[in-house]
Amino acid sequence: MTLSVSGLSAVRSGRTILHPTSLEIPLQIRIGLVGSSGSGKSTLGHALIDDLRAQGHTVAHVPQSPDEALDPLRSMAFHWREAETALGLPPGSADQAGLFGALKIEGGDLSKRPWGWSRGMQQRFVIAMALIGNPDLIVLDEPTSALDPVVAAATMELLSAFLTGKDTAMILITHDLGLAARRVERLMVMDAGRLVETGRTEDILERPKTRAANALSTHRNWMVLPC
Amino acid sequence: MLKVTDLAVKRGSRVTLESITLSLPAGETLAVVGESGAGKSTLIAAILGLLKPAEGEITWNGKPARAARPALVMQEPRAAFNPALNLRRSVMEPIVAQGVALAAGRLERLCAGLEMPLDLLDRRPDQVSIGQAQRAGILRALIAAPPLVLFDEPLSALDAVTQKHTARLISELQAEEGFAALIVTHDLGYAVAHGDQIMVLKAGRVEETADANTFALTPQSPYCRTLRDAAISLGALEAAA
Repeated sequence: MTLSVSGLSAVRSGRTILHPTSLEIPLQIRIGLVGSSGSGKSTLGHALIDDLRAQGHTVAHVPQSPDEALDPLRSMAFHWREAETALGLPPGSADQAGLFGALKIEGGDLSKRPWGWSRGMQQRFVIAMALIGNPDLIVLDEPTSALDPVVAAATMELLSAFLTGKDTAMILITHDLGLAARRVERLMVMDAGRLVETGRTEDILERPKTRAANALSTHRNWMVLPC
Repeated sequence: MLKVTDLAVKRGSRVTLESITLSLPAGETLAVVGESGAGKSTLIAAILGLLKPAEGEITWNGKPARAARPALVMQEPRAAFNPALNLRRSVMEPIVAQGVALAAGRLERLCAGLEMPLDLLDRRPDQVSIGQAQRAGILRALIAAPPLVLFDEPLSALDAVTQKHTARLISELQAEEGFAALIVTHDLGYAVAHGDQIMVLKAGRVEETADANTFALTPQSPYCRTLRDAAISLGALEAAA
């Protein structure tokens, strides 16, 4: 199965912030949606999620910060039940133990509110909620930028390991090509509200064709360490 | 030279920094790295004189560091400016506050170094991009020619390409102006690429201090190896094939 959207666009205050965009997303694929701030990445991500859900696909979204996903006045158990209910599942039917184990948050106290958990654990809890019911697609919008590097790296490693062999496709939205390059097999480069370049990760890293892809590739890391 | 000797800082009864010793010569960069809560911003506040040391001392060329009027570049570029003023008025505040004269051509030269058109200064913070706002923040920090500039996560609000561009501009201006730079960052890639020395803080104490290349290649403590490996895993640093 392939997820398809066509003619996605967005206008804000009379300005086109997403020009008509069509995409084909095969299951199991890992895609990086990259571009500078304001290039339209998150706008495309939101439009894509809305369109695919309207088609009946299951699409999960992980925002940049767990603060955007978790109500500080509700317990973690409440959030989990809400996620199950939203998917039409009976309470307690999701594989909580399996997901918590995969993301190494099995020690978390579900009776506590979000601020009773560390930020890294909160973000992994949000990812675990997103993976309930094996969605067709998970869209992660700058999922590590609110985390310390050690926690961020561990979170991405755990997510990558969990998704291996699963049908769930992944779109990683980031301004950081260095982060995306290690996690995805294909890249989509955005600039000024347009998808300007798509291709295999190694091709775009080595032979970027557009100005935007070239800038991202050139500045994808701070330095190369000699062996 | 900035010298911090056996510094301890308490907030209430809690010790937030303990046994901190460092030296930073003029013209060099010390990058202070650590996770949230490690004490990085507390160190900056202590050097600025905003927090009183419980123990130890902080000096610049043998005098209290505060007397050197160290400048600060903040993390959130737009929030660092008065939203009602244009950037020019905010940028000139150190000159006004210190009652010093602005050297002829200095504003123009710094703007050129920061790749900022002069007319950008006539805009308010909300009328420029976040990258331009951060360069205006650097301009404000440097305008009165401070010998010591403190950078508190100066790139974390910027996208990856703008980060590298801004870091290059800071380094070029430092080479021209000769100020000592203490940069607090959680980004080890930035620290290694632009620092002369790296100091890692963990839970308020110094975990390791080393020159940047030595640190990147052979971090000594398990925690510092974890930090280095996380930077590689996140693509901030790349291991040669």
